[in-house]
Amino acid sequence: MHISRVQLVNYRNFERASFHFNKGINTVIGENGSGKTNLFRAMRLMLDDDFLRWAYRMEESDFHRGIGNWRGHWIIINIEFGEVSQDEAVQALFLHGTGVIEDEAIARGTYNLIFRPNAAIRTRLAQLDQDDHAGLAAILNAVTLDDYETVFTGKSTADFSDPAVYQELVGNFETVQFPAELHPATLGGRVPGIMSVSKEVCFTFIQALRDVVSEFQGQRTNPLLTLLRSKSGDLDPAVLAPITDRVNQLNSEIEAIPDVGEIRADIRQTIRDAAGETYSPASLAVRSAVPGEADRLFQSLKLFVGETDDEYEGAINELSLGGANLIFLSLKLLEFKYQKAKQACANFLVIEEPEAHIHTHIQKTLFDRLNYPDTQVIYSTHSTQISEVSNIENVNILGRSGSRCEAFQPSAGLEAPKIRSIQRYLDAVRSNLLFAKSVILVEGDAEEILVPVLVKEVLGVSLDELGISLINIRSTGFENVAVLFHDDRIRRRCAIVTDLDATFFNTDPHPDDPDTLKSAKEKALGSQAAGVARRTRLTAFKDGNDWISVHYAPRTFEVDFVAAGNVELTVSVLNSVYSDAATIVAATEELRSGDVAIYGKRILAMASYAKKGWLAIQVAKVVTGTTRIPSYLVEAIFTAHKPLSRRVLANMIEHRLKFHTDPAVISEAQVLALRTQVEAFRVGDLEIEPLREAIIVAMAGDVIIDVLGYA
Amino acid sequence: MVFVWEDGDLNEEQVDAIEHDGSVYLAACPGSGKTRALTDKIALELSKLESKRHWVIAITYTHRAAEEISERIERLGVGTDQLWIGTIHSFCLDWILRPYSVYHEKLQNGFRVVDQHETEAVLDQLCHQSPYQVRALDCRYYYSTAGCQLENANPNRRLAALSVLNGYWHHLEENRLIDFEMILGCAYDLIVAQPSIPILLGKLFRYILIDEYQDTKEIQYAIVAAILSASAGNTETFIVGDPNQAIYGSLGGFAMGRLDFAALAGIALADKSLLSNYRSSDRIVDYFSNYCVVPAVIEAVGPDKEYPSVVSFNQEINQQELDDEIVRLIRYNIETLGIPPHEICVVGPQWIQLAAVTRRLVAALPEYSFDGPGMAPFSRDQDNIWFRISRLALTRPDPQLFVRRTRWAKEILDHLRSAGVDVSKISPRDLLRHCNSIEIAVEDGLEYLELFFAELLFVLDIEIDLFPPLQEHHVAFFERSRVQIQRLENAGVQGVSSIAMFRRVFATRAGITVSTIHGVKGAEFDTVIAFALLEGMVPHFSEPNAAESASKLLYVVASRPRKNLHLIAETGRISGIGVPYETTQVLAEHGFAYDLIDGPG
Repeated sequence: MHISRVQLVNYRNFERASFHFNKGINTVIGENGSGKTNLFRAMRLMLDDDFLRWAYRMEESDFHRGIGNWRGHWIIINIEFGEVSQDEAVQALFLHGTGVIEDEAIARGTYNLIFRPNAAIRTRLAQLDQDDHAGLAAILNAVTLDDYETVFTGKSTADFSDPAVYQELVGNFETVQFPAELHPATLGGRVPGIMSVSKEVCFTFIQALRDVVSEFQGQRTNPLLTLLRSKSGDLDPAVLAPITDRVNQLNSEIEAIPDVGEIRADIRQTIRDAAGETYSPASLAVRSAVPGEADRLFQSLKLFVGETDDEYEGAINELSLGGANLIFLSLKLLEFKYQKAKQACANFLVIEEPEAHIHTHIQKTLFDRLNYPDTQVIYSTHSTQISEVSNIENVNILGRSGSRCEAFQPSAGLEAPKIRSIQRYLDAVRSNLLFAKSVILVEGDAEEILVPVLVKEVLGVSLDELGISLINIRSTGFENVAVLFHDDRIRRRCAIVTDLDATFFNTDPHPDDPDTLKSAKEKALGSQAAGVARRTRLTAFKDGNDWISVHYAPRTFEVDFVAAGNVELTVSVLNSVYSDAATIVAATEELRSGDVAIYGKRILAMASYAKKGWLAIQVAKVVTGTTRIPSYLVEAIFTAHKPLSRRVLANMIEHRLKFHTDPAVISEAQVLALRTQVEAFRVGDLEIEPLREAIIVAMAGDVIIDVLGYA
Repeated sequence: MVFVWEDGDLNEEQVDAIEHDGSVYLAACPGSGKTRALTDKIALELSKLESKRHWVIAITYTHRAAEEISERIERLGVGTDQLWIGTIHSFCLDWILRPYSVYHEKLQNGFRVVDQHETEAVLDQLCHQSPYQVRALDCRYYYSTAGCQLENANPNRRLAALSVLNGYWHHLEENRLIDFEMILGCAYDLIVAQPSIPILLGKLFRYILIDEYQDTKEIQYAIVAAILSASAGNTETFIVGDPNQAIYGSLGGFAMGRLDFAALAGIALADKSLLSNYRSSDRIVDYFSNYCVVPAVIEAVGPDKEYPSVVSFNQEINQQELDDEIVRLIRYNIETLGIPPHEICVVGPQWIQLAAVTRRLVAALPEYSFDGPGMAPFSRDQDNIWFRISRLALTRPDPQLFVRRTRWAKEILDHLRSAGVDVSKISPRDLLRHCNSIEIAVEDGLEYLELFFAELLFVLDIEIDLFPPLQEHHVAFFERSRVQIQRLENAGVQGVSSIAMFRRVFATRAGITVSTIHGVKGAEFDTVIAFALLEGMVPHFSEPNAAESASKLLYVVASRPRKNLHLIAETGRISGIGVPYETTQVLAEHGFAYDLIDGPG
């Protein structure tokens, strides 16, 4: 039995999210603030016996902020358990409360926490006439959290992540239509009082800790004490008796030390002197209080660890932070092992950001080894190290868009062979594909090297700031990676950038063609045909998928880069490509020829001579703000990055303005006026249209005008 | 630690039955310590439970029996956390209907158990509207595995009754109500339609004990058998009863034979019996043994074995003088034989005569108090939440009552929860504390309860209007209580409405008991006085097998007393069709050396 799905509705930063889990080890990947902690909190509300009481103390802040007025809305946390069996005795009680009977048998269990207005409020909502907004407001305005109830149900069949289902169960606030049915069967039945799901399962949560040493010092938080407490209960009294005797004897001996008696007498005398006999306490003793009871004796045990080889064992607070973290995690795992021995019907180990506990190089080993039988492990991470170890099928990605968080399953709906090839790709390139907010896929080293530099220098923002990951898929084939981006899987934009490989010189065969030209013509025609075929394939591939876009260099990246207006820049790197002066002169002439058939041939010859990557590095060194970005790249970047915020756009315009300093073209006053307009735009006082018109006039031909087209 | 009973607590027969490894079918004669055996068996099985996920289930015939047994077990010092005990109806509600309601179309959107009196009112109205001549009485029914069965066999009214019932069921369905019979019907539907349910229950139950199997209906046997069968040996059973006391035949109750039940459940069922009577004298045992339908050789072994019992039979007296005769017998027992009043029980066949007799006896013997039907000044519907709360309202905090009152409080919270009230923040102890702190100084009992309930609702912050089930129970409770008080006052009973009278309902037995034959089942007294032992009443004329039914009823009546038994078959009663009633045939035919009682009167 394992958790197969968690659905969150209106809970904290989730408006509606579904997480899918498999047995074994599962990963939840997400940047900070994407809701990893809230997902775990939701699960703890239902499964962690120590945390259950919070389920009855929900607060306004537990409602998703995006719904606006929370009054009348419900919070639903739904957990589905898969691989259950009605024939296993240990699961019987659990299924008695949660088992969903389908086709005369039980294959899954569902368990829900529902925080909703009580029956009285729901009855009154149901009595409202359609569109009676005043009536609705009158009821809702008076609603407080006291009118809410926490209900645990099992056996539900509703898909709470479907907005239509939510509307059917809760109501439509827009049209003021609320269901008359207060007990819809799809919501399941209340869990019988005889059983508590959190007592049926073993659930251990290890939270992300950045200050483990202080945890070790707390009475309640020290995992060692928890372990000792659980063991001291099982202690055989016969074993303890002689120890207790010795402790008592020790106490008496300490008390019998003459100095102790002397101090006692002195204290008494001082009090009498100070307060007088009447007001002095009747008796006073100095006692030795070394504890004799099992639990307190155990609590005096402390962990000493030798970190180095010099045989010195220090207390926890002397350990290195990494060492302390490792010990902490190990103790928590042991706690889990002890708990697991209690015959629960399922075991769950939930670890929050293990990278906060342990050094990177141990992480991988740990998760390769963290393999308890019959235990489902779910951990959250924002470490690429750990995510590489995990199986893509067991990954949930959390993403934030505004105040709302979403969950994606990157492999949903894909067939096994496809999943395996993606898995291999992810393992091999160690890309942070899964963490990206948007992605541009390219297939060559030149693009991988040059595009980030171009964007940074020309537009003044880095790809990172735009949340774009540029990924070189090399020869993997775009489709194999781009398939991840889909409504069912990762709902993030993915721009594919590729060459159309159109010919740029006359390829008509001529009987006088020397052999080299003949073969060059054939090759160019072949590439062109392949480019057309690729376009057909990619067009079909992206059909119906709005998350993917494809952007073509009409010819080849290098050729179109020069064609974009970068002749002189290319000329300036000739020195680092060729050493022969005559070649440099010839090349310079060709690059400046203005005929694509000539400079195109030359730049490709340079790329082939120096290797594409090397050439790209040389070009990257001399890229400046005045370098031109080919327009298909601008298109790709701003199709992937959407929406373009006022702030980012304003920054880019500011950056571009730096390169318009020629007073003959643009006056200082014009620059100042434009700056004011940009600032107005930044804070929302100016719309984009007037700004665009001003820029077209003042900065004619600038790349920013293209960018504005995508805003 | 396995529960061990003390030496001498149990006899060999009992030990043999309890210690048997496997399922047991135990026939227990009257006074044989059946409840003790059952109690010790429960304690033993509870102590043997190895998992926190296992339960021992005990199904009793009445709430009262359940309460008595669970208190006895608590006194034995065995934890009752994993004991579930209650009636078959409660069992079906707690373990089948509520947990699995979403799988039954009648229950899936929530349901409420209809108040018995609402049932009667609806049936009365529908009968009244019916074009045929039909009474609510004709519409009594129960479910068997084959479907609905009419209790009353009058073939001429079957169709009319069924059409009224269709209207009644429609009314229930519209209001999401189910009645007592439907509890069993729906539970059976679920068990059959969803095999997963008996499988899961079979995993949870280590034992199902059934008390009074002779009054169990076929559908109840089927429900229990389905669980036993699905458990594949995990659940064992301990069935106790006395086929000679099967007096609920008209309601469909019967003693299923051991082999029949074993076959139905697919289990082995050991045959055990208890034949030692610890209750009665040789003479009483000798007398009631005559009415055995299933042969049993019963031996008196108790402390009253040698008691010189008086067994009298009077079929001369006219019904006009019946009250005087009963008064004379009561005085004779108390004043001549020295029997304490609370050890005397007056038994009659039907509620209607009994209530009247009780009220007249109360007037004729003002020096003694009486506990009888219609004597409680308020409605005693066990399933009414307000009756349950009145138990706390009318008892005072007392260390001896603490366990019981805590259980009552827990039941109330469960009831409130199922009515939709959020009671998650209230513990049974909180509820007790709230109840104990309510002080109301009024003399009138109903007014007291009304104020008490209002105060409690206020303290618990429950708006009753928002919870229809609570509201409906509230109305029913007070309406019926007023009718009851009126009836008692009309009969000349004094001080009915006083709070003292109300409190007495929950006080321990102090007065002379007046009961129906069915109501006296399981009880014991020094002296039993039974009247109206007339053919057509004992047994009821609708019973198909008159002689056998009569024997069983007489067997039950005659086996109640420890010491003395007085039987009366008065003359002068005329049946509805104008024919005089005659002495119950089985009784008339029984030749016995009855005692004659001379004395005052």
